[in-house]
Amino acid sequence: MKRHFLPLLLLGLCGAANAQQPAATVIAVPPLTSPDSGNKGNEMLAVGWDVTQAIEADLRQTAEVMPLKPNRDDYYSYPEVTAPTFSKWRSKGAKALVTGFVQSRSDGRLTVGCYVYDLDKGRELARKGFIVGAGDWRRAAHKCSGLAYTAITGAPGMFDTRIAYVAENGSGEARTRRIAIMDSDGQNHRYLTPGDAMVLTPRFSPEASQLAYVSFAGGRPAVRVVDLASGQERPMIASDSISFAPRFSPDGSRIAFSMMLGANSDIYTVDAGGAAPRRLTTAPGVDTDPSFSPDGTKIVFESDRGGSQQLYVMNADGTGQRRISFGGGWYATPQWSPDGQWIAFTRRGQDGRRIGIVKADGTGEQTITSGPGDEGPSWAASSREILFQRSGSDGRTGLFRVALDGSEPRQMTIPQDGSDPDWSGVAE
Amino acid sequence: MMRRTAFMLALMLGATAADAQLPFLRKRSAQPQQPVLQGIDALRADFAAQAGSTTVYFGAGNTFLGAPAKAALGLQAAWLRKHPEVVVRIEGYGDGLDTRDHALAVGARRAEEARAYLVLMGVPPAQLSTTSWGRERPGLGRAVTILVR
Repeated sequence: MKRHFLPLLLLGLCGAANAQQPAATVIAVPPLTSPDSGNKGNEMLAVGWDVTQAIEADLRQTAEVMPLKPNRDDYYSYPEVTAPTFSKWRSKGAKALVTGFVQSRSDGRLTVGCYVYDLDKGRELARKGFIVGAGDWRRAAHKCSGLAYTAITGAPGMFDTRIAYVAENGSGEARTRRIAIMDSDGQNHRYLTPGDAMVLTPRFSPEASQLAYVSFAGGRPAVRVVDLASGQERPMIASDSISFAPRFSPDGSRIAFSMMLGANSDIYTVDAGGAAPRRLTTAPGVDTDPSFSPDGTKIVFESDRGGSQQLYVMNADGTGQRRISFGGGWYATPQWSPDGQWIAFTRRGQDGRRIGIVKADGTGEQTITSGPGDEGPSWAASSREILFQRSGSDGRTGLFRVALDGSEPRQMTIPQDGSDPDWSGVAE
Repeated sequence: MMRRTAFMLALMLGATAADAQLPFLRKRSAQPQQPVLQGIDALRADFAAQAGSTTVYFGAGNTFLGAPAKAALGLQAAWLRKHPEVVVRIEGYGDGLDTRDHALAVGARRAEEARAYLVLMGVPPAQLSTTSWGRERPGLGRAVTILVR
């Protein structure tokens, strides 16, 4: 009898946990301290408070981690950073704690130290130091948030990432569109194109150093590639064919895209420098929206070769093409998740468009948004969240992010309407 | 061949009928004086009037030219053959319910189908170019022939 008691108790606990899911891990975020003294110390404490608030804001965006509101009175002394009072934070309901310090360096830059603890076990989970320019404390905060997020969930953090999208103003013929990029928390928002030409589908290179997008500047849609640091821009290929739907390979060496040859749209790859385009599909009909698997060996794409738009997977050299979507309706805009587990897509039925996910072998399909105007999923670096475009019945479009756990999508704050989002990987 | 000859004959008859109406249209009784169109505007007006329509329509989800579309393109071709100095761009549009890139491809395909039919009707390919607006502009499900010079 006694031997059955424990498993039963555990079962009961599991049931309780399931009932209130999604259960986020509560994390304490006491303010970062500083080993510096005097005026410098006060200055570093002020930066530390900014970093603390940025970490809280980062973690609050996630479905899996819930930060306690930081309090300026909870400062640790510098030695205490490596020995926090676990019981105090446990009593506030926290399961984890992230804190650290900000130290000025002789070269004018900052060292931000970051520590993550498991409060139940009373042990350190992770620690890391980041050296950043004095004006770049926000990046250090994103790195620290990522360290905490990864320690708790096991998934890569997506806080030090960029989002590119198409900013839309006006309506009808007068609607203007510009490529916009921003940090994933909405900071450092800027426009890359002036709005005199129609633009579509910005797509980052893996390190977010380059951006490929479609421009109508030359009269017909064609992919252009811009270097984000220098602003230098060029056509992706030397051709006057219609080209669109670009995606970089995971190692950044190639771009997959669609090109029209007569009335036929097929998938091609080209060296990122623009040399040696190679045709991968030849089926009559529309083959488009290619996306590489994270190991670069496969490509998922959509094709209407069978009469309706469906998802297909092929080897990256074009061999072995096979259909993977069979759920009814039309499937489009596939993107492979960074961890390789899922392919996100837009599914169009009689009652609108929704975002879903499916495994690369076609099993495990799930619908994760309610529609009816959702499309264009783009994965977070964590592979646990998806950014997408939602159109309202009034024709306005916004950017939404949704976690895979079934929680409600949340709208991102941007200065105007937005479409075609792309979420970058984590830059080193 | 037979069908094409008959079609051309119909085109010529149509053109004759339109010509015959011109003197009537030019009667002074037309009260407000029309601004005199020059250059490409005049050519565009003439193209629109003679061809009947600069636009052909497609059924949702398909890129096939139906009989009305072929008739309209036939009239466009007749005009373009008479104006070999003119260059046109055929702009294809997709369908509003399609996803963005699919709509872009469908628009390009519709423009290409219209272009191919104009070539079939004897228009030199050098006079013709195509592009696609996908679903990005109002006026979906069609291909429009626009004089560029």
